This record gives sequence, structure tokens and C-alpha cells, in this order.
Amino acid sequence: MTTRAPDALAPLTGDEAQHVLSEALAMSSAAEDATAILESRVQALTRFANNEIHQNVASRQQALTVRVVIGRRCGVASTSRLDSSALRQVADRALALARLTPEDDELPPPAPAAMVAPLERFAAATAACTPEERAQAVGPVMQAAAAAGLNAAGALSTESICLALATRGGRFAYHPETYAHFTCTVRSDDSSGWGDRHRRDWRELEAAPLGATAIRKAEQSRVPVAIEPGAYTVVLEPSAVAELVAFLAWLGLGAQSEQEGRSFLSGRMGQRITGESITLVDDATDPRGFGRPFDYEGTPRRRVTLIERGVARGVVHDRRTAARAGVESTGHACAPPAVEGPLPYDLVLGTGDATIEEMIGSTERGILVTRFWYNRVVDARRTIVTGMTRDGTFLIEGGRITRGLRNLRFNENVLDVLARADAIGRHAEPTVFDYAGNCVIVPALRTRDFRFTGVAPF
Amino acid sequence: MNSIADRALNAAQLAGASYADVRVVATRSQFLEVKNHRVSALQESTTHGLGVRVLAGGAWGFAASAVVDQREAERCAAEACRIARASAPFRRAPVVLDPLRPLEARYETPVAIDPFEVPLADKIELLARATNVMEGEPRVVVARGSMNFWEDRKLFASTEGRRIEQRIVHSGAGLSAAARSDDDLQWRSFPNSFGGHYEAAGYELIERFDLAGNAAATAATAAALLTAPQCPAGVSTVILDGSQVSLQIHESCGHPAELDRVLGHEANYAGTSFMTVEQCGRLQYGSPLVHLVADATAPRGLGTFGFDDEGVPAQKVDLVRNGRLVGYLTSRETAPLLGQGSNGTMRAESWAHLPIIRMTNINLEPGSGTLEELIASTEDGILMVTNRSWSIDDRRYNFQFGTEVGWEVRHGRRGRMLKNCTYTGVTPEFWKRCDAVCGPSEWEIWGTPTCGKGQPAQTMRTAQGAAPARFHDVQVGVGYGS
Repeated sequence: MTTRAPDALAPLTGDEAQHVLSEALAMSSAAEDATAILESRVQALTRFANNEIHQNVASRQQALTVRVVIGRRCGVASTSRLDSSALRQVADRALALARLTPEDDELPPPAPAAMVAPLERFAAATAACTPEERAQAVGPVMQAAAAAGLNAAGALSTESICLALATRGGRFAYHPETYAHFTCTVRSDDSSGWGDRHRRDWRELEAAPLGATAIRKAEQSRVPVAIEPGAYTVVLEPSAVAELVAFLAWLGLGAQSEQEGRSFLSGRMGQRITGESITLVDDATDPRGFGRPFDYEGTPRRRVTLIERGVARGVVHDRRTAARAGVESTGHACAPPAVEGPLPYDLVLGTGDATIEEMIGSTERGILVTRFWYNRVVDARRTIVTGMTRDGTFLIEGGRITRGLRNLRFNENVLDVLARADAIGRHAEPTVFDYAGNCVIVPALRTRDFRFTGVAPF
Repeated sequence: MNSIADRALNAAQLAGASYADVRVVATRSQFLEVKNHRVSALQESTTHGLGVRVLAGGAWGFAASAVVDQREAERCAAEACRIARASAPFRRAPVVLDPLRPLEARYETPVAIDPFEVPLADKIELLARATNVMEGEPRVVVARGSMNFWEDRKLFASTEGRRIEQRIVHSGAGLSAAARSDDDLQWRSFPNSFGGHYEAAGYELIERFDLAGNAAATAATAAALLTAPQCPAGVSTVILDGSQVSLQIHESCGHPAELDRVLGHEANYAGTSFMTVEQCGRLQYGSPLVHLVADATAPRGLGTFGFDDEGVPAQKVDLVRNGRLVGYLTSRETAPLLGQGSNGTMRAESWAHLPIIRMTNINLEPGSGTLEELIASTEDGILMVTNRSWSIDDRRYNFQFGTEVGWEVRHGRRGRMLKNCTYTGVTPEFWKRCDAVCGPSEWEIWGTPTCGKGQPAQTMRTAQGAAPARFHDVQVGVGYGS
């Protein structure tokens, strides 16, 4: 066991953050209202490929954003420097931008005072994880792959983050959190397998067992065969389900898209839009997830039921969309400039009572999908998405996995896929999408007539 | 900044680094969006930081910080060396770099009008004027116009005696309109999707677009798409406009030509490549009309610079010549594995990120003729314009793209507008079916501002030069069928 280096950096403490934010607000005194937001992030990642560590990085990043309001005008500026000179510059720039901006008739008033219940999301072990510990964790994965004549690639990352927000009205909120991720792909000449896990405490990643899963899948899918495109029963592991469900957030579960008529929910609130077994909520407090207690306007996050037993029930709001709808914000404002409006960041899909093994065991003929890849929207209003299977696609025959398959392209309506689900897993797993920072907690599921439209040469 | 860079390099060497480089980067950006009568975004950001990359014990280490002073430079150097030594026991062989001689140099993006000096009021007025025109179309529910400007000031210094200063300026702008009916929603963009068109240039680029003059047609097309017939399903000749050819190049040639992908370095995330090293010089990638180059020296491209983030000069190299795979995008670490020197494609998103191989400007060399002449020579097919959807497998074989708008081509003439156009294929088979590429008058260097790769994930701005091109026997109309 190695010790934490004395010069390693932690994110800013609550006192440090409050000091910076207070100074920034003081420099914005010419504004009628002001909000200052500070995000500080210490990130480390050990990356391996071809059974050796090839990249290994650490960074300390920070961003201070000042949002000021003058009359009905708003200006936003941000900086990575936290010295007094930089705080003066960013405050002045936000004020200048506000004075240049046309009046905004829908500019919402400042957020009212509210108590923010803290969420315990910080694991000290993750913040203290050393490069030696990361290397020692991924080393056995590479050694096991090499011993099996296979090729491992992946990454183990840790982050410690603080988000702090203060307003002219005297509000201050501070949230420290940690995040850890291990992901591993193991390849043979003609196959691959995958293991992946997201946790707050890096010690719960269990890299070696995940590596063993990737090795098993790579070996099991050797000499893959092509299967004709068409409609198949599929058993989707949680990562595959997460890829599909995550799209719903962008395609219409935020109030802005619903109000603009772009959402698949527009005009359908209260109507059945998917299967009765489907309930989808946004819940920042779910202990399995990574939710934060407040949003970028300082509003406490609320649990929002989005789809209840297949019926469209709600969307998430920030202060602007809430004012338009005549409701209260649900605490889902995104970071400025938030051009997409409020979005659900902590989706949770209700679980069922099946295990993956039971789903496979009761499938006469179907396909097991480990994960989907490069998924993109084909038709937003119809929630049609295309993408590829990757790193472990298997044929199920007579209730058991019989062989590996070449990867397949799908084109599917996400709501219809959920509607056709006839088995839902009893265990849900969190997936964090690093490009967006949102988390989706979903179980595996089995669905009928999943539409594959093409096959890859591998 | 030079003293901070020197302090980092000295500290790295004292800590045992056999090689070190440091990048000190200051980035300024400005984003404006006007949507539905309102300035929906007006934000300026600055970031400043340093990143130290070292080789110690034959392994890489990298540490970066937003605090730019001499003490932090030393701390980053020491941390990078510690990280490298932690990696070293898990190397199969020490990293070897192709050699570079000492050099001092400067580079600046040629800019006629500094975009940060143009009054914000002028920018807002232009976007408001254009979006107001789009809102005049009754079926338009979202009328959006935006501008983006970036300026990177970069200092690179290495223990090998390279010291390079660069100022890179990128600009872009565009319009988009969403039209809605009871059962449909259709988008149309100008001059391109992904927020518009981007170049290594100043505000002169924005003035070239005539956003306001093109707003009415943009909105009208979005509305017309609502009642346009669906793209048929089947096999067809397809003509792609230059912007769609650009994304086709990006996904199906640019990414698979990245040598780090080819060597498996990205196997867990971005993926690998079907363009394996043993196939170089042998693989028939496309038809003999297909000539693709990686050209970081091309004017105006988002992949245009003086030096990459390893201090290697910008270069122009062949990737595909006469349809045959002949080269890759390389770095100082990967090129020696092919017996070559780096062709200078290493770039990092910011000071906080490690440089990795990225596309520069991946250009399809122009053929001849105009788009109208190409349409006139096509008996039967579909013209597809402006990307809407894109997906490709992790080896870059099987792709599917969708476009905002299409038109039937019948007997050499443009016919009915089509909506929801899609096409799919397998990369080398598709490019082998390329039977025409339009000429220089139709060629443009299209920017892709959001290319993702790497762990931690990095976003990069790249470009692809392209003219409209024609492909025969393509599967179209996928995604909507039963």
C-alpha cells in the first residue's frame, strides 16, 4: 500500500469555495442580482492497451462562472483563474455582457431561499487514490488477459469534485463528490468482451472480476457467425439498456423541448406512451447514483416521475420553463448557458423480478447484447435510434448461449422497445455518460422483435 | 510564460525524466445564440493552464493544473514523473520517440477581422435579423442562430530544445429552423448542421455567409419537409453534397487512419480500425477516383496549424491514393513502428489533456465538374444534403447516415423533395462505388467542431475538405421500415 503524496491536490473545501464565491459576488455589486458557481475537479486516469499502460494522467481543473442580472438583462462569464485580478475581470465581463444584451421578457426572478439537504457522495479513498494503486489494480487484468493469449485495453479513473454556488441573496450551497470508473475490453483475433463499472468509492470497482468477465466474453464469442438482419428477441444487459434510455432524456424529458413542441411527449401528457411495466423517474437521491442535491440555479433537486406504468407524467424544469408552465422548478437547471434547457441527470428505470440467466434460460431463440455503441438519433419525435452492438453479441438457442455473433446494426423506436419488454431485471446498475455527466440506473431487460437492419464484417 | 515552462522542464529532468515537454495554454471563447426572439446564450470563457508530459523509466506521465506559476509548474513536473514511474513496471517495452532537432518558431492563424473585436451588438443584431426572418414561416417552432469563436494562445517547450508559440483562431456560425406539424418535426440548417460552418478564420467568415439572406429559404425548406414524401427504401445511386461527404470522410477514413486506433490504443473507447498496418499499400479502400490526404497546411481548416502539440511541423501526407490505402495519421511514438517520422497530428483539447492523434484536415481531392453537371449526368438517384444522423461501428466498417433533406434525381434533373433520407453501407465497399467527385468550384473545407476521442474524453475541432460525390448501388431508406 502506498501513501497519498503530500503534494497531491484535493478539490476546494467548503470554506475555500465560499471565500472565492463571496469575493466574486462582491465584485459584481453593480448588478441587481448575481450568482457565482465554482466547480473544482481533480482527475486521474490510468489507461492501458495491448496489455501495457500506455497513458497515465492527472489534472486539476476549476471554473468560476458569474451570472449577473441588470434589469431584465443577463450576462454570463467564466474563468479558470481564481485570483482577485481574475475575479474582477470575470465579474466586469459578465456586467458588460449584461449591459449589451437585449431585455429578456421571460427572465425568471432570483431563486427563492430554500434548504438544500446534503447528499453524501464523497469517498475519501477515491480522492486519495494514487497512481501506484491504479497501476496495481489494472495490472492483474492485463496479466490475466496475456496469460489467456488475449489483449486487454481499458482505463481506471478517479475524480474528486466540488460544486459550490452562492447568490447575492445570501445563499450558499456546497457539494463534494467522488467518482470512479473502471472499463475494460479484452480482444482476441476475432472477438471481444467487455466489463465496466461506475462507483463513488474506487475500491468497489473490482477491476479483476470485471476483467475476468471481459476475458470470458472474448473467449465465448470466438469464431463469430453472421446472422441475417431481422426482428429478434433480445436480452439487453444493463449497459445496453442504459444507452437507449439515456436518449429519452435528450429527446423530450426536459421541459424546454416539450414546450417547444419538439419532444416525443409534446401533446401526449397523461397518455400511454410505452408499456405498462415501464416506470421512469429522475431521482438525484438514489443511493446507487451520483446525483447532486441542487442544480445550477441553486434549486434543490426534486424527484420527478416522468413515465408511470407506461403513462407520460411529467418533465423536469428549471426556473424559466417552470415560470412558463406556471409550476415550480424541479431543480434541473443545467450549467450556463444551458441552451438545451433543463434535463434529467439521474434517470432511474424501475426494476422487475428476473435475472439475466432466467431471461436467457427462457428464450428459445434470441440474441444477448452486452452493449450498444455509437448510438445516434435517426428521428427525434419518433425516438428512433440507430447504433451497433459491440464487445460480446451472442446467439441464444434453446435457453442457452450457443455462440458468438458478428456485430449488428439496429434501428429502433426506444419507447416501442420498452413497450415490448416481457422481462425486466431485478438488479439495476448505474451508467455514467462521460460526455454529458448524466447517470442512468437501469436493469437488464428482454424485449421482443428488436429490429436489426445490418451486420458488420466482424 | 517561458520562465514557467523552463521551471517545469528543469524540475522534470531533476526528477529523472528522460524527456519532457510542457504546454502553457490560454484559451478564450465566445458563444452567442439567439432563439425565438431572445438572446438565449451570451457567454464568454477563459481558461489558462499548463500540462507537463514526461518520459521516465520508459513510460509516460502527464500532470496538468489551472494554477500557472513556477511552484505549480514544478509540482506538475514531479507528479508527472511519479505517474510515469508508477506506469513503468507495466510497460512491455520502453517508449521510443522519433528524433526532433531544436527549433524556435511562431505561427498565427491568418485573420482579417479579429472576431473578439467585433461589437457584440453587431453579432446579436445579425442573428436576430436572421432568426426573425425564419420566424416568419408559420410552421417554424424553433428559429435559432448562433456564433462561436475560439482563440488558443499556446506555448510549447521541450527538453529537446523546441520552443513554439502559436495563436490559433477558429470561428463559426449558422442557422437552424425546426418546423412542426401534428405528427412530424423537421429541421433545416444553414450553412451546415452542428451549429453551422467553422473555419480557422476571423469574422470575415461570418460576413461571407449572408445569414440573413439565407434565412427565408432555410425556414421554407424546414416547412416543406413536413409534407415531403418519405425517402424510399431500396438500392439507389446517391449523390452526397460536400458537407455530407465531409462527415463520411471523417467517420470512415479519418478515424480509421489514426495510427493509435490501428495499433489498439483506443480499443476500449473509440475503437480500432479495419485499416490494419499489414494492409497499407495493398488495401483497395475506394475507387481510383478516391484520393484522400491529411493536410494540416491547407488554408482555413480547423485542422490547420503551424505545429502539433508535440512540436512537429504541420504536413500534407497521402492516406489514400488512387483508391489504395497508403498512409496513416501518426505521432512521434507511433510513426517509428512503421519506420517513419511523425507526420504531426498530435493535438490536445486543452492544457488539461494529453495530446493524442487527431485528424487534421482530411481532404478528398476534387475531381471535375459542378453539382448541376453531376445531377445532369445521373439517370436515377437521390441527392442527399446536410447531415442529420451518423453512426459507425468500432472498426469503422458498417455506417449509417441520415440527412436533413434530399431530392429525387430523375433523368438528369432534380425532382421532388424527400424527407428522412438515410443510407447505409460498409466503408471500403461504399468508397469503391464512388464514380464521380465534383471539381474545385464545388470544393469546401468543412469544419467538424465536436470530434470525440480519448480517455478522459477529449473534444477536438477537425476539418474535411470535400466536393459533392456520387456513389452507385447504395442501400437507402433504412431506419423507418418494418
